[in-house]
Amino acid sequence: MKPRQVLLFIACVMLSLGALCLVLPGCVSWGEKTLRWPTLAEVFDIEPSDVSIQYSDSLYNIDSLESLEIQDTIPTLAAEQTQPVIPQVHVDSTTDGRGFLQAFYTALTQAGERQVRVLHYGDSQIEEDRMTQQIREQLQKRYGGHGVGLMPLAQTIPTNTVKQQLYMSNRFVTPTQGPRRYLVYGPKRDQRADGLYGPMGQVAIMSDSLVSGSEEIKVICTPQNNNLRYTRWQIFADSSVHYTISGDTVCLNGRGAVYGLSQESETGVIVDNIPMRGCLGLVFTKMDSNQLRTFYRQENVRLIIMQYGGNAIPSNQNPGTIQAIVKGLREQVQYVHACAPEASILFIGPSDMIRQVDGEWQTYPMVPYMDKLLRKMAMEEQIAYFSLYNWMGGAGSMKQWRENGLAGDDGVHFYRSGARKAGNAVVNWLLEPIENAD
Amino acid sequence: MDFLHHIVGFDADSPLLFTQFYFWAFFALVFALFALIMSGKKADNHSRLHLRNIYLLFVSWFFYYKTSGLFLLILAFVTLSDWLIAGRIKSAITHHKPQIAKIFLALSVVIDLGLLAYFKYAYFFTNMINDLFGTGFQVFDIFAYIGNGFAEAGRFSVDTIILPVGISFYIFQVISYTADVYRERIQPVKNILDFGFYVSFFPQLVAGPIVRAEEFIPQLYKPFRLSRRVFGIAVFWILNGLAKKIIMSDYLAVNLIDRVFDNPLLFSGFENLFALFAYSLQVYADFSGYTDIAIGVAMLLGFYLPMNFNSPYKSQSPQEFWRRWHMSLGRWLKTYLYIPLGGNRRIGFGTYFWLSLIAVVSAALTGWWLWILVPFAVFMIGIAIWNRTADHQSSRSKLIYANLNSFITQVLGGLWHGASWNFIIWGGINGIGMIIEKIWRGMNWHVRFAAMTLLTAGLCCADYWTNLPVWRLFAVWVAILWVGTAIRYIYWLITQDKTITNRQLQITNTIAKIWAIAQTFTFITFTRLFFRSSSNLDPATANEVAWATAKNMVNQIGGAWNNAIIPDFLWEYRWVVAMFVAGMVIHWIPTNWKRRYRIWFTKMPLWLMVIAVCVAIVVIYQFVSAEMQPFIYFQF
Repeated sequence: MKPRQVLLFIACVMLSLGALCLVLPGCVSWGEKTLRWPTLAEVFDIEPSDVSIQYSDSLYNIDSLESLEIQDTIPTLAAEQTQPVIPQVHVDSTTDGRGFLQAFYTALTQAGERQVRVLHYGDSQIEEDRMTQQIREQLQKRYGGHGVGLMPLAQTIPTNTVKQQLYMSNRFVTPTQGPRRYLVYGPKRDQRADGLYGPMGQVAIMSDSLVSGSEEIKVICTPQNNNLRYTRWQIFADSSVHYTISGDTVCLNGRGAVYGLSQESETGVIVDNIPMRGCLGLVFTKMDSNQLRTFYRQENVRLIIMQYGGNAIPSNQNPGTIQAIVKGLREQVQYVHACAPEASILFIGPSDMIRQVDGEWQTYPMVPYMDKLLRKMAMEEQIAYFSLYNWMGGAGSMKQWRENGLAGDDGVHFYRSGARKAGNAVVNWLLEPIENAD
Repeated sequence: MDFLHHIVGFDADSPLLFTQFYFWAFFALVFALFALIMSGKKADNHSRLHLRNIYLLFVSWFFYYKTSGLFLLILAFVTLSDWLIAGRIKSAITHHKPQIAKIFLALSVVIDLGLLAYFKYAYFFTNMINDLFGTGFQVFDIFAYIGNGFAEAGRFSVDTIILPVGISFYIFQVISYTADVYRERIQPVKNILDFGFYVSFFPQLVAGPIVRAEEFIPQLYKPFRLSRRVFGIAVFWILNGLAKKIIMSDYLAVNLIDRVFDNPLLFSGFENLFALFAYSLQVYADFSGYTDIAIGVAMLLGFYLPMNFNSPYKSQSPQEFWRRWHMSLGRWLKTYLYIPLGGNRRIGFGTYFWLSLIAVVSAALTGWWLWILVPFAVFMIGIAIWNRTADHQSSRSKLIYANLNSFITQVLGGLWHGASWNFIIWGGINGIGMIIEKIWRGMNWHVRFAAMTLLTAGLCCADYWTNLPVWRLFAVWVAILWVGTAIRYIYWLITQDKTITNRQLQITNTIAKIWAIAQTFTFITFTRLFFRSSSNLDPATANEVAWATAKNMVNQIGGAWNNAIIPDFLWEYRWVVAMFVAGMVIHWIPTNWKRRYRIWFTKMPLWLMVIAVCVAIVVIYQFVSAEMQPFIYFQF
């Protein structure tokens, strides 16, 4: 073939595809199927490809919140809309509710004499002790305290801070081969009706895992750096569970529930990392209030951090679902507040989260909406709110984080470096009022 | 002005990629002018061909500038230096001065590898020295420093060294040129612009295939020929490459693989295993897709690039895999590394040097000085003593020479893929795999079965006593291999004294072939645990993350298996699973079938081919724009 014939071929292909852009701009749908094709403007990158968002004042009514916290998949309510119609949210983005943290600030001044406990609940963004590690480090550096705090008997997800080895009847076992676990955020088969999950939302039952009560579970928990050396252990378990402690090793036997082990100090700040993978945060009301109340009071819990919302984003383009989830979270906040009346609450919203749209990475349209709703909810409930999304830089910031090696390719989770940065930012923000006052 | 700058200026965030519209618009324009140059009755005369070469050289430089900015100067520098040096080499050879020729060859290799080492391995070596000696050296970009002398101060950052795109490929090309001139396999190119065209030819500049001088340079002086069938094949390769890259690679990566490799602990053992196998397909589809497009584009311009992938996952052994995977690199390493080391004919200084270096570095990094260096020293002394008296022509000697030299080639080949330890480990595992396979082939069936039984029993004991996921993984894998070995051993015992019909032979050969392919694919897939390294992290962190990822994936696969969630996973990720299965099925289609449908495509009338291309692009676009698979977490 001659080059001009090849050129003619290339021209025919390009003109045909260009013509398709004219007759088939955007997409064509029939039934549930959609055929997508770019417009000429998109091909030549003439106009910005931001998702246009329409605003309306309509609110969606979701009657039942019960179905929202589902365990194996992320919820989607009703039919998704192709073009999100997002109601306006009137909230002052400069208010962050740090004034509601007074109880915590007061407690910090007494940290030299007694223990002040901070519980950091969250979703997979805080797994492996991400973010919590920095919050702990900074608080302990300023106000004293040692140890990583609470950990489950069988740590299925290793952390950066403690290496755990589990033995049953002197045989090494992996965490999944370990004692039977029940999770408040787990699938139905892993839940228990009595709501006795302990403060971590998970419990290991020794009688379910051992053939006879005389067998022993040994767990060695080795802190991964010297700063994490602790001065005492606390074992949160039923009285029927007996234990002995030797250095980093705890040996348990008997029958009953083990709610958690804690490496800590008698005074200073103890920060517990409590991740709940895939969780929307709508599970607290399933946890026994008496048990929670007792723990929060006895352990002098003075700050509860709740970091949720991210799991609602990927599957939902429906503002009604987001509203329902935030409504559900409000109930959780109220419940936790009722269980821990002396504690302050800080809510951390979702980070920026991105997805690929027509080959471009863009922020999920519901992230800013959820962030605003959560802030509004927090102010109304008189708790503090830290907007991770705004702090990162708003829409599209996750793309930058990924490119700078701070977040993973999935466009959702932080790398350790990113988590370090975010954790430090939370602490600096948290302590700014009292440090400025000093 | 902004628009013009956007079109012709360098923007690190917008490189020219085969998968973007901008590249194809660029190519259409390039081809329009190319067609003009190559039209008319005098299209085949020398001056017109020379004009074509110059034109394509400048187009290639523009392409590289759009992709890598001022690193174009590095490309121009190696072009100039190797062109000059090759001329001196030829002159020395002509004047019967082989030592001078050798010195110039060494100079060329030092300059080229020096540049590669500087840009690609500076962080790696700095980290290694800091790890070994506890120092705190930081990299310093001398080129940026010099650049700041010419431009306004601080324009270029001296604290980071950026890797120029494609440097690993074009450095190997220029080395092949000077080496081929030295070995008198080619004549030096008289015109530097022609040589520049060979080094910079844009379709293969950034991701290969690596074209050896002797394969490409003669094409510079041949007239343009493009038969109707070759045109059809070129179009087919381009579409094939786009589909592989976008459907098989990017779709699988974005919707599953990246998520699992980023956070293996978020996923169960089965999900990790599936993602690992899918990653094997993704790597192949990504790399081979890109080179398919390069081959197709070059073909349209009348140039033939060597085949780079030949259905590698059809390989029945690791050795065959390396003959089918990244073939241009394999051939390069064989010609310019393996054979100079001695191949299967000898071992010499090079072999001892590289093996010692690998041993010392391994000992330094693991801290197991005694455990590595003492056995290694004993081994090397044994080899040296044996080598003095050995019959160099015997098959045993050849096997030992080949194993030692190919192990070095694999380790250094691994390092070529990326400047981090995981790539060296990856190369080492491949080298060991090839050695084991060669030894295995030399065993009779009694020994094979006994060895396999012992290994399986040993690993099962290790699993039982330690209960560690890594041993479980090995034990399960080897137990499966043992079953295959046992069946083949029993079959061999039954049939060795009997006459087998052709039909029976055919059936057993087919079963054995499928088994061997599955075995090799699994082995290669597990080596991929060490193949992935995040390019957006600094090298020290990338090493740490790559190692942690491999470790966590092994722990999950060997320890956090949960059968209950497998059906849920398969259902929720059904499109991802379907794409993976479809990709593997297409990959495993017999070569004859593939040839048949390619020929059918090339015979299509042109108007129908235009329609077919448009339909294919519309289909591919559906995957670019597809909704992402939502995150689904299964508790385990």
